Amino acid sequence: MVKITWMIGGPQGSGVDTSATVFGNALARAGYYIYGNREYHSNIEGRHSYFNLTISDKPMHSISDDINILVTFEAETIFQHFREVHDYLFYNKALESTKLSTINSIERETAEEIEAFLESVNVPPTVEGVLGYLRGRGVKLIPVEYDKILMAVAEEMKLSVATISRSRNIIAAAVSLRLLGLDKKYLAEAIRGLFKNDLFVKANLLAADKAYGLAEPAYGLKEIPVSGHRVQLDGNTAVAMGKIAGGVRFQSYYPITPASDESVFIEANQVVDAVDPDTKESRKVGIVVLQTEDELAAINASIGAALTGARASTSTSGPGFSLMVEGLGWAGMNEVPVVVTYYMRGAPSTGLPTRSGQADLLFSMHAGHGEFPKIVIASGDHVEAFKDAIWAFNLAERYQTPVIHLVDKSLANAYSIIDESELDYSSMRADRGKIVIPDGSYKRFQFTDDYISPRAFIGNAVMHYTGDEHNEEGHISENSANRIKMYEKRMKKLELADKEIPEESRLNVFGEGDVAVITWGSPKGAVMDAMEELKQDGISMQLIQLRMFNPFPRNLVTKLLKGKSKIIDVENNYTAQAASLVASSTGIQPTNYILKWNGRPITRTEIRNAVKTIMEKDEKRVILSGGQ
Amino acid sequence: MAASKIDIKLYKTQEWVDWCPGCGNFGILNAEQMALAELGLDPKRTVIVSGIGCSGKIAHFINVNGVHTLHGRAVAFATGIKLANPELEVIVNAGDGDQLGIGVGHFVSVGRRNVDITVIVHDNGVYGLTKGQAAPTLPRGVKTKALPEPNINDAINPLLLALASGYTFVARTYAYDVKHAKETIKAAITHKGLALVDVLQPCPTYNNINTKEWYDKRIYKLENWDPVVKSESEIEDKITKAYLKAREWGDKIPIGIFYQNEAVPTYEDRVEERVSTYLKNPPAKQEIDKNGRFVTSIENIVKNKRVV
Repeated sequence: MVKITWMIGGPQGSGVDTSATVFGNALARAGYYIYGNREYHSNIEGRHSYFNLTISDKPMHSISDDINILVTFEAETIFQHFREVHDYLFYNKALESTKLSTINSIERETAEEIEAFLESVNVPPTVEGVLGYLRGRGVKLIPVEYDKILMAVAEEMKLSVATISRSRNIIAAAVSLRLLGLDKKYLAEAIRGLFKNDLFVKANLLAADKAYGLAEPAYGLKEIPVSGHRVQLDGNTAVAMGKIAGGVRFQSYYPITPASDESVFIEANQVVDAVDPDTKESRKVGIVVLQTEDELAAINASIGAALTGARASTSTSGPGFSLMVEGLGWAGMNEVPVVVTYYMRGAPSTGLPTRSGQADLLFSMHAGHGEFPKIVIASGDHVEAFKDAIWAFNLAERYQTPVIHLVDKSLANAYSIIDESELDYSSMRADRGKIVIPDGSYKRFQFTDDYISPRAFIGNAVMHYTGDEHNEEGHISENSANRIKMYEKRMKKLELADKEIPEESRLNVFGEGDVAVITWGSPKGAVMDAMEELKQDGISMQLIQLRMFNPFPRNLVTKLLKGKSKIIDVENNYTAQAASLVASSTGIQPTNYILKWNGRPITRTEIRNAVKTIMEKDEKRVILSGGQ
Repeated sequence: MAASKIDIKLYKTQEWVDWCPGCGNFGILNAEQMALAELGLDPKRTVIVSGIGCSGKIAHFINVNGVHTLHGRAVAFATGIKLANPELEVIVNAGDGDQLGIGVGHFVSVGRRNVDITVIVHDNGVYGLTKGQAAPTLPRGVKTKALPEPNINDAINPLLLALASGYTFVARTYAYDVKHAKETIKAAITHKGLALVDVLQPCPTYNNINTKEWYDKRIYKLENWDPVVKSESEIEDKITKAYLKAREWGDKIPIGIFYQNEAVPTYEDRVEERVSTYLKNPPAKQEIDKNGRFVTSIENIVKNKRVV
């Protein structure tokens, strides 16, 4: 199995993303799968950002701490990442004399930490020093004269260097591709596919040509024939596509990282084709995307839209969800099917706005004063994010209650190359629940045997809603007997959901073994990929990936965890929140924990090492700290 | 959707109206029911969206769709309702504390969108339901009976705020002049675009300063006043006059329509410009599935994401 890791770094706003995208596209054309994580600061321009990719002949779901090829343009990336690279470093020859102390964009704590390390290994804090250190460790150094190549391209095209300075990124992709042993035609195809402006296509092709020869093939990758199509997806796009497929017709949002890209994507695709599945007759219909003044308005506008019958959702991150809690309670009280996509980032407060986290699980479970049913689901990869977005609407409408769909930032911003066939949702059906168009009088909150009232849309009947306790007609009632019954009616819907939704669909199980690993969200990928590697070390594990937390699949989880010699809980938070839900639902406590809260994704390398530590030393709590 | 006049009884619910005797809300309720009846609005397609406080209960007293929402947020709910189904007639009822205090951000922001809804502010200067604290329209220095000290904050002028925010219909009326209130509400509902009706309303229980007697002496109707903008060149003049007139307060308090401009595209028009089928086939009316099978094609979107 091919598994090569590639990292590119540089200041934000310099095109690092483009570089990684073009490179990834070229690799996909050559038949390879990619999983790439994007790290960046809360900053528009100038701070350090990087992409960490794994290239494989099999679908990948995680990144690694061990980097084969590190591509740099400037000095900061070298200083930030030289300890991770093993095989090749591309660097800008003009920067050899750069001192660590002259880099203003690097955070003080980071600079001090790097300086202390260099001092401990007797290396001067300069690029030259670091290069020497790497040479001593067997890393091959490839100087790239970016400026010279750019000047040559500029001259040939009779343009200024400034105009084509972004072709620097293509130079990096070209040299990398050559190193891997792949034909430059893939890069040319990727460039033609991604850039619309002829001038840039030409400049990039020229730059690629000039750079391609700078390295010698070292990894011997061969073209792999691809059957069917493959797509490049990030988590925000996956959710947006799922929502569109699932029939979202109203999406409201307030700008927030890392959620907004989803709404922007829906807006960019707001005119969609509605195709009759029988006659194939197609017509254009529209989705309303409303950018509101705050998250209070975002959720409440969506609730309003849902009352009229439109599938409605909003998406946000922690700080925004804090504001949405008020509206969520109203939706719970009024049995409104609204979907909230909750992208978790580093918290509390603004926290680490552009980094990841999984510390909002219990918050979403308990959001809102009082008690009301809410369904909470969490996606573990891009395909799940896509399908869960559809599922969320079905759950919301069937049980007439808000659904919170958790996606962590790692997943939102990571991108992967996946087989298009994985996005096949033709077996999924729309479940709109109990919808009626009443003839005569109508009671929105009518008591029924299954606790779910027939739902009419505003426009088709006269009905009343209120956040106060209410009677069947939706009018305020503080009557004790009514209160007991209406309260129970709402709560019982969750019991119904618990009965109806197969527990098998609320979690995934992978592998077999005496050791169980519990996780959820993006760490799923790291655990799955590490399991492959751990098998070679003689450790077999069973992964239980939790996908629905409310209602919790307690019977199945109990059954799966019974008799395991070890139960390891893996999460991107401090307090092991999912584990506490497992314990409260099943009475079973994990025996060991692997936790990480530095805002960076869990890597498969970390899981592999942590599991080994646990197996060898039975360490209770392994804390991870990888990632710059 | 306007039809012929309908019997007002049809617009009353069975709920007991639990406001204090003499409350200005009764005038607003009557005026609103009369306006709906005279406009012949279909109860199924009419929605009252209210906030929290005494005013919020009005959603339960009018026999059209009633959505009694959260404190300050009625406008946000109303925006979602209206944009998902523009065929609905959407009316917001909120108190001055509700709409100009906790909900003032939404009050301003909806102005930028000119959503075709009507916002009726029950303006009594106090938070009645919590026993009479000072609300945003109570002037500084005024000591209503529940206040331990005179009000320390300056008052918001709802009309000026609406003009500044982009409301295309700005009016003030008086709860005890039911006929005027009814006509103003009718004009607001009929107006194409976002309308504010600020209703001066005594609170007989907690506002012992701005009483019926106090208002009766001061209120006068705008006369020889043409608020309607007929061409773009009139905007500056009419909005400036409206601004100055709306500042008049004290011995004389004008009521009436201060400003109206239907030339500004509504938010619905703006959406229609992007999505040509929007008004004919809005979100709420679309079938998203056929017998469970999804109809929205993402084929082209997926194709755009293809790398091989």
